[in-house]
Amino acid sequence: MTQIPIDLHPDDEVVAEFNSATTVRTWYHYVLLIGAALFALVSVGFVGTIFWSSLPVWLHHGVTLLTGTGWIGPTGPFGGVPMITGTLETSIIALALAVAIGLGTSIAIVFFIPRRIRNVVATLVELLAAVPSVVYGIWGLIVIAPWMAVTVDPWLNSWPFAKVIFGNPGQQFGGSLLLASIVLGVMILPTFVAISREVISVVPQDLIEASLSLGATRWQVIRNIVLPTAKIGLFGATFLALARATGETIAVALVAGGVANAQFHLLYPGTSIAAWIALTFGESQGKEIAALMALGVLLMLLNFGFSLISRALVNRQRKLLALV
Amino acid sequence: MADIQSKTETAESTSRGPIAMQLRDVAVSFHGRTAVRNCTFDVAKNRVTSLIGPSGSGKTTLLRALNRLHDLTPGAKVTGSILLEGVDIYRGDLTVTELRTRVGMVFQRPNPFPTMSIYDNAVSGLRFNGIKKKALLDEAAESSLRSAALWDSVSSRLKVPASNLSGGEQQRLCIARALALDPEVLLMDEPTSALDPVATLRIEELMTSLKSRVTVIIVTHNMQQAARISDDCAFLLMGEDRAGELIEFDTTEKIFNNPDDSRTLDYTLGRFG
Amino acid sequence: MTDIVELDEPMESGHEMRDEIRRISHRTHARRVAVSRTMVALCSIALLIAAVPLVFLLYQLIKQGAPQLNKAFFTTLPSTPTLIAPNVTGGVSNAIVGTIALTIYASILAIPLGVLVGVYLAETESKMATSLRIIAQTMAGAPSILMGLFAFSFVVHDLHIGFSAIAGSFALAVLMLPVIVISSEIAVRNVPNSLREAGLALGAKPHRVSMRIVLPTALSGIVTGALLAISRAVGETAPVLLVIGGGFINAWQPFNPVSALPLAIYQNAKSQWPSQRAQVWGVALVLVAFVFVLSLTARIWATRKQQVRN
Repeated sequence: MTQIPIDLHPDDEVVAEFNSATTVRTWYHYVLLIGAALFALVSVGFVGTIFWSSLPVWLHHGVTLLTGTGWIGPTGPFGGVPMITGTLETSIIALALAVAIGLGTSIAIVFFIPRRIRNVVATLVELLAAVPSVVYGIWGLIVIAPWMAVTVDPWLNSWPFAKVIFGNPGQQFGGSLLLASIVLGVMILPTFVAISREVISVVPQDLIEASLSLGATRWQVIRNIVLPTAKIGLFGATFLALARATGETIAVALVAGGVANAQFHLLYPGTSIAAWIALTFGESQGKEIAALMALGVLLMLLNFGFSLISRALVNRQRKLLALV
Repeated sequence: MADIQSKTETAESTSRGPIAMQLRDVAVSFHGRTAVRNCTFDVAKNRVTSLIGPSGSGKTTLLRALNRLHDLTPGAKVTGSILLEGVDIYRGDLTVTELRTRVGMVFQRPNPFPTMSIYDNAVSGLRFNGIKKKALLDEAAESSLRSAALWDSVSSRLKVPASNLSGGEQQRLCIARALALDPEVLLMDEPTSALDPVATLRIEELMTSLKSRVTVIIVTHNMQQAARISDDCAFLLMGEDRAGELIEFDTTEKIFNNPDDSRTLDYTLGRFG
Repeated sequence: MTDIVELDEPMESGHEMRDEIRRISHRTHARRVAVSRTMVALCSIALLIAAVPLVFLLYQLIKQGAPQLNKAFFTTLPSTPTLIAPNVTGGVSNAIVGTIALTIYASILAIPLGVLVGVYLAETESKMATSLRIIAQTMAGAPSILMGLFAFSFVVHDLHIGFSAIAGSFALAVLMLPVIVISSEIAVRNVPNSLREAGLALGAKPHRVSMRIVLPTALSGIVTGALLAISRAVGETAPVLLVIGGGFINAWQPFNPVSALPLAIYQNAKSQWPSQRAQVWGVALVLVAFVFVLSLTARIWATRKQQVRN
């Protein structure tokens, strides 16, 4: 095993001081090291295996994957555009819904709900996050879809720009991008609320008192002091919710319609990267599996990208408040 | 004892000049537990009145009742009457926001709004009150920053973030922020306890010059500071039931040289703290 | 009246400004308060809207699912609908057995390693530790279907084990691992430093301090984290969908294909048989109940231990 230089130097938060010259490497330290190495191995394996399996597709059909609009199994061509646009469209609409409702929700939880009920309400919103994806899927499919077909879709189709946005299909499909976006929005709402609640509640109390002492109304305090101070962290919450939206698989698989058409009309069926993998994997082999692995790489890049951006933003927010 | 005190106060208040705020039997409690009580005194205009006493005696709690900050706290109850220019601030025809434009507050730790520039901080009070006219904002900014002895050092960099200033400068910015609304009374809650001695001295000088413009009520646990800068003094002490109460109120001169109550004497002589 | 010390401006102009400020403030007061009240109301409405889906969902679950639950549901195998007998009879015992098996295997794989790495991260300051921490956080948010792809590639294919419980457990373990790492690190970091220092002051060696003092104190936090990770793994369909094979017998052996609750729901939802589609609610209710019980247990455990410590 390579000699990994572990510096067990003193740190206030962690270990009490002891002279590094007398550091004894007991079996305990080696066991921890082995665990860490194993974890690193699993993580590398995770990324590497998927990438390796998809390598043939990237080398020979990479362009098709990124620009092709049709997916034809079992031998191809494998075009990934419908999945990519579907992922982006549903995630962004879901995000818009989640942020619109979620921001107001977290403000209400932090500022307007009496302390006693606050925990109950917060637990309720967190339970929303614990519901498995597949249950959201069947709920969307069996309960929401028919209701939308009867109530919402006709109303949407009467909008002035309906044809452009919604497509005005005039027939019922087994699922639609709009339905997927809505269900997705409900699913990422708790993620957004959890983080934005945290970020909003650590805005220093004396800033709030200072603004109130100047004659500000409650909303003025929130809008002009709390939200700007928490702004960076709120963006962090947004990106994390976006990351989660891109990765949602089963719910989207059940309610988006599962059709690989490169179109964006909301009332038509569509798919996302994750949903397509879930739907197609079972009956695919060889080349198609490699192509699905390639889609997996795309998904990984998207998700990891948003995740890391979110992390950076939340860290910056923490540093900002430490200066206040 | 309390009766004799209020009699001497009423007699003396007329000799100290016009009254800015009157407190009559003010008490503050949280969820039924009294934090401070028995507060009866008059705050004279254009003078510095200090609230002194050891920690836990309820000074800050009393101060915060004067701009109704306890409205924020669930379970808080303020009894008695507090009059601003004759109007009861809790029960009279005065809205909370209007009260707070007339009674400003400066806090213990400098707390300029971190996302705003120096200028924006200074005029934030006016903006909260719906004032948008640039001419008025500029005038208020310059006036208040001059009053806080900051104008000369910041006038060339008004758009710079407020966090660029040093601790003492930040506190003076907070004072300017409160002064921009041209309040009648300025409440200060241990404004120099988080600052170094040099910054402290500058703010003490400032408070003396501010008198001509506002009435200052300051909470301080630093006796020497109270002796240095205040004209009148209210001494509070925590009783056996852990509730603070007003022991004595009089001119600073009297409190520190010849107080009526022996406990006041003990405190000013440093026998306890 | 007052001593004129150093006045910045003549008193007159001060009052002029003050009057104008007060005038504008008074004039705009009603509007400002109205705006504030409206926005407060809107935020409260948002909160209600956020709560509606959950309440609605739970209502549907109980309304449609509860009637389906009886002893047979939990103990019998499902029948396969045919044209002659299109109505499904039986329950979901295969899925229940499968889920239990998967959970146990995945926990064995993920929990010891996860706690180990969590302790490592809490007690080490190095670039490696920082990197691993970032990796753990990123993987914790990774799409679960990728774990399925990983398990397929590695366990099913490379190791030639095929569709099996062990493959599914591997996928779930990879899912649980980063979550347990993060929560264990937090649990260990939350142990007050004074405890550690006291142990060292008594002459105990650092690793003994960790094992005998720190870990037992952090145990409740670690257990909470593990329970939450399990509750998440139980509900995941995507990782197991690709690799466990499904099946209609009460299989639990590691190298056999097995079924699982979320998989059963998914398969039923996509089924062409109306009777199978109708059965989703009962299974969903069982799954949600399972997940909620685990989550709430973890939460209650955490708060109770907190109170004991206080």
